[in-house]
Amino acid sequence: MKSWKSGIGFTGLILVLLIALGAAILRRGFSARTPPSAFESLLARGMRRLAVPSADRHRANPFTATPELLAEARHHFADHCAGCHGNDGRGNTTLGESLFPKAPDMRKPETQNLTDGELYYIIHNGVRFTGMPAWGADGPDDDSWKLALFIRHLSQLTQQELAEMERDNPKSESEQAEEQEEDDFLNGKPAHPHSDQH
Amino acid sequence: MKYITLLLSVLLVSAAALAHGNFEHVMGTVSKIAGNSITVTTVNRESKTVTVDAATKFIKSGAAAGLGGLKVGDRVVIHAKPSGTTLQAVEVRFGETPKAPSPQH
Repeated sequence: MKSWKSGIGFTGLILVLLIALGAAILRRGFSARTPPSAFESLLARGMRRLAVPSADRHRANPFTATPELLAEARHHFADHCAGCHGNDGRGNTTLGESLFPKAPDMRKPETQNLTDGELYYIIHNGVRFTGMPAWGADGPDDDSWKLALFIRHLSQLTQQELAEMERDNPKSESEQAEEQEEDDFLNGKPAHPHSDQH
Repeated sequence: MKYITLLLSVLLVSAAALAHGNFEHVMGTVSKIAGNSITVTTVNRESKTVTVDAATKFIKSGAAAGLGGLKVGDRVVIHAKPSGTTLQAVEVRFGETPKAPSPQH
């Protein structure tokens, strides 16, 4: 009798919470502009942890971080990942800051405390309900293991490495033309009036 | 409890939303430097003032630099983020740019 009553009480509590949540959504909307609440951040981190099977969490990285391997992973990161995460992993790009949840600052403990197995799993399989896609194809995925090692290296990136990454970042034709125009201007060529918004 | 967490996550964590690239590119000649602000006379002959902070990246001739290296009269290219009525500089480039090495594949 007592457990039956507590079951109704628990269900009632969940219903009240869902109604309050629905009312809040109707009032505030569901915009990606607003920063996630502490509750949402907690849930998202919980979901990320739940998304990685425990056996994968403890997988060891088959590679070690040699300079050659880090250079290879750096080129890969600049080409595929930096659009959202930024070359330095801070996530402060137009795209990264517009996602919900925003791209994390991967130099911080929330990412650095993940195991190599978790980093690999996230890169390979993506994270549902976020902007993180599944990059890995079926079969062995050496690139994702190498990227996990590069993520460990983010806080030690040199200016030289960052400059190299900027050259590796994919650019559209109009971005290349714009960059050329800016370089020409800095090199003393006359500039033509143009639109400032990009 | 695990299922309740999953259900709430589905409700609360929305999909990604793409954004327009909305940086303003300020290209011109430095007309004034005061505190944490740089005023530029643009190639369109407008006067624009941007603010800088600790996160602003300064690049002189392809190498890391600081606000101290910039002077009135320098040609400058600033990528700035509109913030209310002000422009917040994300990157400030000045000085002649080095030639990029040929791509190797």
